[in-house]
Amino acid sequence: MANETNNSSDKELVGLLAQFDDPTSLLAACNNAREAGYTKMDAYTPFPVHGIDPALGIKRSFLPFIVLAVALGAVVLGLGMQFYTNGGGIGDWSTDEAAIFPGYRFMISGKPYFSLPANIPVTFEVIVLSSAFATFFGMWIINRLPRLSNPLHRVSRFKRVTNDKFFLMLEAKDDKFDASDSEAHLNQWGAVAIEEVNQDLTDTKLPSWMAPAALIGALLLLIPPVAIFSVYGSTNRKPRLHVVPDMDWQHKFKTQVLSPNIAEKDDPVYLFENRRAMRQPVEGSVRFGSLEDDSEMFRGIKKEFSGQAATVGLKSNVLASTAVQEEENPDQWITGFPEGFKVNEDTLARGKQRFEIYCSVCHGYAGNGDGLVNQRAIALAANGKASWTAAKSLHDPTVTDSVKNPTGRIYDTITNGRNTMGPYRDQIPVEDRWAIVAYVKALQATGITAPGAEATESEAEEAGEPEADESAEPAAETTEPEAEASEADDADTE
Amino acid sequence: MHETRPAKITSPIVDLGGAHLKLMPIALIVGAIGVGLTYALYAFDLQRFSHIYLVNFAFVLTMCIGCLFFVTISHLTRAGWNVTVRRIAELYAQCLPVLFILFLPILIPLLFSNDGLYVWNQAGWSIDGASTTVIAELNEADAKLPPLEELKKAYLNKTFFAIRWVVYFCIWGGMATFFLRTSLKQDQTGDKKLTSRMQAFSAPAMIAFAASVVFSSMDLLMSLEPLWFSTMFPVYFFAGSVLSALALITLTCLYLQRTGRITDEVTVEHYHDMGKLMFGFVVFWGYIAFSQFLLIWYANIPEETFWYEYRMSLTDGWGVLSIILLVGHLFIPFLFMMGRTMRRNKNLLLIAVIYLLVMHWIDLYWLVMPQYDRAYAHAIEPDGMIQFGVRTLLCDAACTVGVLGLFAGIFFLIVGDKPLVTLQDPRLGEALNHEVH
Repeated sequence: MANETNNSSDKELVGLLAQFDDPTSLLAACNNAREAGYTKMDAYTPFPVHGIDPALGIKRSFLPFIVLAVALGAVVLGLGMQFYTNGGGIGDWSTDEAAIFPGYRFMISGKPYFSLPANIPVTFEVIVLSSAFATFFGMWIINRLPRLSNPLHRVSRFKRVTNDKFFLMLEAKDDKFDASDSEAHLNQWGAVAIEEVNQDLTDTKLPSWMAPAALIGALLLLIPPVAIFSVYGSTNRKPRLHVVPDMDWQHKFKTQVLSPNIAEKDDPVYLFENRRAMRQPVEGSVRFGSLEDDSEMFRGIKKEFSGQAATVGLKSNVLASTAVQEEENPDQWITGFPEGFKVNEDTLARGKQRFEIYCSVCHGYAGNGDGLVNQRAIALAANGKASWTAAKSLHDPTVTDSVKNPTGRIYDTITNGRNTMGPYRDQIPVEDRWAIVAYVKALQATGITAPGAEATESEAEEAGEPEADESAEPAAETTEPEAEASEADDADTE
Repeated sequence: MHETRPAKITSPIVDLGGAHLKLMPIALIVGAIGVGLTYALYAFDLQRFSHIYLVNFAFVLTMCIGCLFFVTISHLTRAGWNVTVRRIAELYAQCLPVLFILFLPILIPLLFSNDGLYVWNQAGWSIDGASTTVIAELNEADAKLPPLEELKKAYLNKTFFAIRWVVYFCIWGGMATFFLRTSLKQDQTGDKKLTSRMQAFSAPAMIAFAASVVFSSMDLLMSLEPLWFSTMFPVYFFAGSVLSALALITLTCLYLQRTGRITDEVTVEHYHDMGKLMFGFVVFWGYIAFSQFLLIWYANIPEETFWYEYRMSLTDGWGVLSIILLVGHLFIPFLFMMGRTMRRNKNLLLIAVIYLLVMHWIDLYWLVMPQYDRAYAHAIEPDGMIQFGVRTLLCDAACTVGVLGLFAGIFFLIVGDKPLVTLQDPRLGEALNHEVH
């Protein structure tokens, strides 16, 4: 063996490669090398050889523990991801306030937002995926891969390692390694041939063609994004390309449409007998979150009276207002505000804003009953062009009387209407109705009455009250002012 | 240093050496006393006795079925590594035809009375409790259909039930006898063609085996609640069977080696592979159990969910057992059996296999006993639920000891003086030199 090459400047000795002709002699050599104190060595064989790991003194890989750690992390990641995206709260899952993480909150099959059984398959897949990655890349890191070249491939004898020869390499990095001693050892252990493995240091330079080739490659890679970007701003009269026609034209009916004749014959067949393309909800079913079982919040009625007129919210407007009036028990109304509603500056401001949009058109900005609609309708009525019951002043004793007209009843008035006032249930959300109630109470507390309001008020009372008792005043006659009112609404809202 | 071992048996003792003559009568007597005692202690309450007896019968049956599967799949895949442990599985599988005798305490009351274990056998059987409304709606939806009870009776009736069970035992017995006889013949002659014959037989046999396991699991355990159905149930039954069989084979090997038999043939490498298989089937069991649960939970159809609802309710006790099963049958063995060290340590492995067998027993108890609650205990005591007390535990333990005793007796009867390891299998060399990576 030529030791001179060791001294030449452009080469570095990597180790000594010994060839063996059968696995038994290789195993013996491995055992000898280990017992002689070599630690940095490796064996190369055409097939897995039993017992080679202990012979080389290779400890068991710690890769499984990396994978275990990553897998346990994946459990947390997988569950956490679903917990976050589903906006999973802890506790009562039916209310949004319970959400600790405000995610998307998709209600799927009526299951809780965070339900462990549904999340296990996804978590399982995340574990499998991340474990596979951890195994693959962990193996790379432990083996110091990727490696673009290996000096062993320059040894021509080594090519038969994939065929029928067995090799043992003692690495030069080993403290025990000494070129001549190690060679003697290998000979002694029965090596058929020994070769030096050298790293060619001249190889570290890049070949001259590589840099321009890389530049050209990078420029070529820019073509697709540039092409896409150039089309992005252009117009095209051709129809859109349908890549997945099944998704673009689905065999389905949209909601609220009539079913076409699906029999494609003269004798028509519809999806459902009533020609609807969707099922109607089962009788008595309640939309999620619409149970409205808190009677104080939703109806202004004390809990102990909540059994009364239980279906008010579901009845039509006219029916509801009559039902309430028939069944009204003076004690049933709550006198304060429900638990779910807080009276503070914000809600009062909100109440003022909503009041001025919805109520002031009739009742006036100060609640005196001198809204524009009211004034116009009275003017028309004076000419005999309309029949109008004047809007009530909110400072009227019957309204301000907190015993006869507690907050719950005011809320009910807004919700279901009273006398000739229509219901605002569908226009004003529950919280806003309570905000308006709060603002009305604040207005009443100021006691401000507009000059001249007294007169109109007393007139209105004389005219209005008897009519109200009949309570079945035809709505048709009030249509005109109401139309104006709704116009006013729109203007205000904008 | 690894050296190739010659393909021949080197252990000094490869059979029971006459020990079965002493052990068999003891086991049979203990068994008979145990079972009889249970019946007497339950004051000849046939229902209560039948249910606990069914748990133990199913325990024994599933282990033998699993062993039969182990033998069949070995031939089907031309497995070489397990040739040295295959004989034990063959012997356990051969117990199957004799187990028909143990099935008689379930079959005879069913045939000769309108009572016995299964609700569907009772004269006035109708769908009860939680599911009544569902059934009413189903029947209303299609008034042309006869009541569901009538429809189910086409399959669930005593005559057809008995015929099916004779068929199952014929299939199992035929397969087991063929494999054991051929294997024993090979011990004498060393004829390699016999291996080919067993391999050719194993493919159609596996199909018959699969069908018989599917239907027998439904008959034996699922029909306890005749309304409930789950297509995953037979797979669940199968997963438990194979897991318990692997544990039983390993336990037997460990026991035999401790008594100085087949010491050279079953090596740590075989234990390692059995451990891997058990680990795999622990996960498979969990996977199947969860698959069955998830679909029912998600679909949320009352006629399916009530079965789980009863087992998941923490207020009446069975929910605790469900949690024990989830943690004890899946999580603990999953973590315990994952490591290589554990599988190669005979003492730890012994703990693991006994633990797995106990868990399998609890699994069957969980399948059977809540049905007793639903069908009978509620009728006796309004607040339902078996009252767990010292007496119940003693009775159930006596029954378990009894059935296991009878099973051991049958096993010793089958083993006799047969060799406990294949003597001249052509793949013996491969098995003896088997090494796990």
